[in-house]
Amino acid sequence: MDFNRRQLLTGAAAVAGATMLGSPSVLAQAKPRVVVIGGGAGGATAAKYIAKDSAGAIAVTLVEPNANYQTCFHSNLYLGGFRDYASITHEYTALAKNNGIDLVRDRATMIDRDKKEVVLAGGRRLPYDRLVVSPGIDLKYDSVPGWSQAAEEAMPHAWKPGAQTLLLRKRLDAVPNGGVIVMIAPPNPYRCPPGPYERISMMAHSLKAAGKDRCKIFVIDPKESFSKQGLFQEGWEKYYKGMVEWLGPKVHDGLKSVDPASGTVVTGFETYKNAALVNVIPAQMAGAIARDSGLANASGFCAIDPSSMKSAVDANIYVLGDACIAGDMPKSAFSANSQAKVAAMMIRGELVAARTFPARYTNTCWSLIETDDCVKVGGAYEAKDGKIAASSTFVSKTGETAEMRKQQQAENMGWYAGITADMLG
Amino acid sequence: MTMSHLPAMSVSLLLASASTGAVAGDRELGEYLSAECVTCHQLSGRETGAVPRITGWPDEHFVAVMNAYKDKHRDNLIMQTIAGRLAADEIEALAAYFGALQSRSVVK
Repeated sequence: MDFNRRQLLTGAAAVAGATMLGSPSVLAQAKPRVVVIGGGAGGATAAKYIAKDSAGAIAVTLVEPNANYQTCFHSNLYLGGFRDYASITHEYTALAKNNGIDLVRDRATMIDRDKKEVVLAGGRRLPYDRLVVSPGIDLKYDSVPGWSQAAEEAMPHAWKPGAQTLLLRKRLDAVPNGGVIVMIAPPNPYRCPPGPYERISMMAHSLKAAGKDRCKIFVIDPKESFSKQGLFQEGWEKYYKGMVEWLGPKVHDGLKSVDPASGTVVTGFETYKNAALVNVIPAQMAGAIARDSGLANASGFCAIDPSSMKSAVDANIYVLGDACIAGDMPKSAFSANSQAKVAAMMIRGELVAARTFPARYTNTCWSLIETDDCVKVGGAYEAKDGKIAASSTFVSKTGETAEMRKQQQAENMGWYAGITADMLG
Repeated sequence: MTMSHLPAMSVSLLLASASTGAVAGDRELGEYLSAECVTCHQLSGRETGAVPRITGWPDEHFVAVMNAYKDKHRDNLIMQTIAGRLAADEIEALAAYFGALQSRSVVK
């Protein structure tokens, strides 16, 4: 069936094929065109799977402004000294070359949904039959009183990879023994639910390893509870006793303001002055291109059809990863990679009549607490009741054996090698 | 457990059996389902950390291992969850897909 239809798309039978499929706009040109905005876990995976599995029948263009890809995942391991920076930095060369993807190094500034064109900062317009929007998150700089984009050097977020990751590590290394670190944790929903708490663990590990065990990390959290809470708190007590103090909203009574110039954090409960490092992880929203194109709803994120990842507001657009509202799935690279494969299959189904199957999704997030002590959370998901719903979930338990935790860290490292090869190979 | 003890010869046995097929999985379905496996398990057969190679296994062996996870006889939360929602024909499809991929010596 697949083969026969593809044959119809080329050569003398094209007109007959157009009538049969009822989709002349797609068939009027030589090849259907897919444009992908964003070369992260969602976009790179989608571009690869559409190009690879259509074997040249679909023209795929990936729009990504950055020359290299620094993974957000495992950037905490860089912070803790478990990885070097080069090991979380990847090139796009192999992805483009191996799969026949046209890599355009530019920023998408506008989507003309009526004309079905993406407008690039450089002025080029890229026409598409289907568009994949996977821009990740933008930070809500105004969600923390006193903080701003201009203050991200003084109080780094490091919630987007690259220069901020390097800056946070540099600032952490400069914290003196006895210095105070304050983390402003983000409200839901945000990228990488266990991420802030793995980061706290890696900061504490780094300080302890440097003999700076009189340092103290205060966590000002707007949430009453957080991902893998029992596991992290067990680990902090076991390895970093006295170094980490997590404060929920009932205790800190609200974050009132920060002053980047003096390193001050004011809560309803207490004022922290002269902090050696303040890490502000603000509230988040879908990347600007998604919001500016009318793909996001009032939440700041983009509603999708859970059976396909298609935008709820535009049948020619798919939204992946952190920018979309994925129901029970967390915002993670693993989730984005999983969603991208569903979207790629559905897009091939639409454009070249490839066989499609019911959507199914998977996620796992590993978090390193201390050397060889890694925990995980994850699940299997499917479209149900109008959303992506968990059909089965799991989470590590407190009190697991050291052997099991070590094994999980080995899985974590294996997963990283696997997903980066899957996305970019 | 890794499958590194499997002799290279098993590949040719497998390819020989693919047409006769003691386990006759739908390879196209298997290829789709495989997408969720290859987030961790590399198609190249490369092993990293605790994630083993899953290409080039004899079909029957692949099915037996997946059923052991599905029935929770083997202990891994992720694999139990993945295998738990796979129907028998889906496990066979995966076995057919990964089994037919060229196996190569394990690269660490």
